[in-house]
Amino acid sequence: MSQSMSIPASQTRRPATMSAGMSDRWFSILLITPAMVVILVFALLPLAYALDVSFRFADLTRGRLGDFVGLDNYRIVLADEAFWKSVGVTLQFTVSAVVLEMVLGIAIAFLINGATAGKGIIRSLMVLPLATSAAVTGLFWRYLYDTQFGLINYFLGLLHLPQPNWLGDYTIALWSVVLFDVWQWTPFVALIALAGLQALPKEPFEAAELDGASTFRVLRTLTFPMLKPVLFLVLVLRTIDSVRLYDAVAVLTRGGPGTTTESMTFYLYRTGLKLFRMDYASTMAVFFLYAMLVASLFALAPLLKQFSTRASEG
Amino acid sequence: MLQRPTSFATEVLRYGLIVLVLAFIVFPILWMVVTSFKPPQDVMVSPPRFLFTPTLDNYVHAIWEKNFLFYIKNTLFISVTSTVLVVVAGALAAYSFARYNVGDGHILFFILSTKMFPAIAVILPYFLIFRDTGKTAVGRFLGVGLDQPGALIISYTMFNLPFAIWLLVSFFQDIPRELEHSARLDGLSRMKVLRKVVFPLAAPGIAVTGVFTLIFCWNEFLFAYILTRKTASTITVGVESFFTLQGILWGPVAAAATISVLPMMAFVLLMQRYMVRGLTFGAVRG
Repeated sequence: MSQSMSIPASQTRRPATMSAGMSDRWFSILLITPAMVVILVFALLPLAYALDVSFRFADLTRGRLGDFVGLDNYRIVLADEAFWKSVGVTLQFTVSAVVLEMVLGIAIAFLINGATAGKGIIRSLMVLPLATSAAVTGLFWRYLYDTQFGLINYFLGLLHLPQPNWLGDYTIALWSVVLFDVWQWTPFVALIALAGLQALPKEPFEAAELDGASTFRVLRTLTFPMLKPVLFLVLVLRTIDSVRLYDAVAVLTRGGPGTTTESMTFYLYRTGLKLFRMDYASTMAVFFLYAMLVASLFALAPLLKQFSTRASEG
Repeated sequence: MLQRPTSFATEVLRYGLIVLVLAFIVFPILWMVVTSFKPPQDVMVSPPRFLFTPTLDNYVHAIWEKNFLFYIKNTLFISVTSTVLVVVAGALAAYSFARYNVGDGHILFFILSTKMFPAIAVILPYFLIFRDTGKTAVGRFLGVGLDQPGALIISYTMFNLPFAIWLLVSFFQDIPRELEHSARLDGLSRMKVLRKVVFPLAAPGIAVTGVFTLIFCWNEFLFAYILTRKTASTITVGVESFFTLQGILWGPVAAAATISVLPMMAFVLLMQRYMVRGLTFGAVRG
């Protein structure tokens, strides 16, 4: 309240010693200039460059950028089965990883929220995977997945369960990447869901208790509707991250066996910097970028707007 | 949430499940640390060995044979420089957004949308651009070229700014405006108010943003992998060099991984209170 009251005051009652006579407007623009220069130059320029390359012939093995070829690259990429396959792999990974992380994360949040003691220690242990780099711990997971020396198959053997070839089996490899991602990111979902649970107001739940509402009914009509904004935000953040999958694939499977775990980012990297077809890679990058921008426009922006207005009111 | 009275049995079940979850989360990290202290002959054995005489051989190997300190030095230089740039440019911009609402939120959302860029869409042109700038005298002088630290510093500054600005805006919104007003009325210039009143008050938020940025830079892989070969490689790429013709040297890998992961874990534990807020761009204040 006091914040909105003070805005007009700042505009009318100007201090006597206005330094250098600079207006609020110019001062505020001056402040954002360094950041805006960085963002405009180093984000938009490369994108314009990528767009340019996507309309040219650009085979790096033949030296410099080539001639303008119109929409040829777009036609070729749209007809490229490997590209669509990488889109499929990315979607399959994203859906499975995000669903698993959300379900497990929310369940774990409820589990911890109900705990009476030791919440601090539980939380401390949970945040650890978030501090690690997927490239470093992912590499170590290769050792855990190892069919000969790996700990995972050793434990499965003790329990007389089948011991799969985690990273070598065509049908399992992508799931192994998912499992690693679930390990790293479920705590993220749990942590934020837990923060949401702990921020819920007490009164409606006490009223429901007095009315004798069943646990299920309380969850369905009170808890989840109130948690929805937070959960949706987590869902969107996880999805954006998952479709960019690269690190885990690069260190765990290198896209293999065959191309079964080749994500979009990995395929783009291989096309551009292993096969040196920068033209195709840039074209795919343009598609990828377009998809992400549309998605973020519809999903993330309204969501964060909602949060930021609520925060400034509160 | 209301706590219903719970029976002893549900409590046992609850803590049983929690222990199971924590075991799953902690075990890979614990096994990494344990493996890093194993003598070489105990690493590649089946079944895995749980009892052994601890040794520092793997650390010695990682540091002397694989020159891991070189990667740490690179990473430190690149991450710290990027973090400083991000925090300075980010704090100025965020203050402006929080107080003066420049661009009515539109600029702020444009900034956020750059956060959604798939990194690879920027990296391919970066590769081509830095390949060219690295050959020019100015580029070489500034270290902006392939396999030079400037290229990564630019990339990391660019990619972390949007997140940092959003997080910082949320921290600046928490500072009451009244203090700034009275300082202005006392005759301090806007810059002085910023330096003497606002930034000291926002120091914890700025520190948190800095640590988050540092962690992201430290752990980054894709840019480092594509834009560096040897001289500017960071730890995430350095660990890759443990692939040899004889296979992966798991002992030294574990040692190097432990060295590179532990400082970040310490940071995360120190900042636990702000984890939720940081990870959601300041949207959920936890």
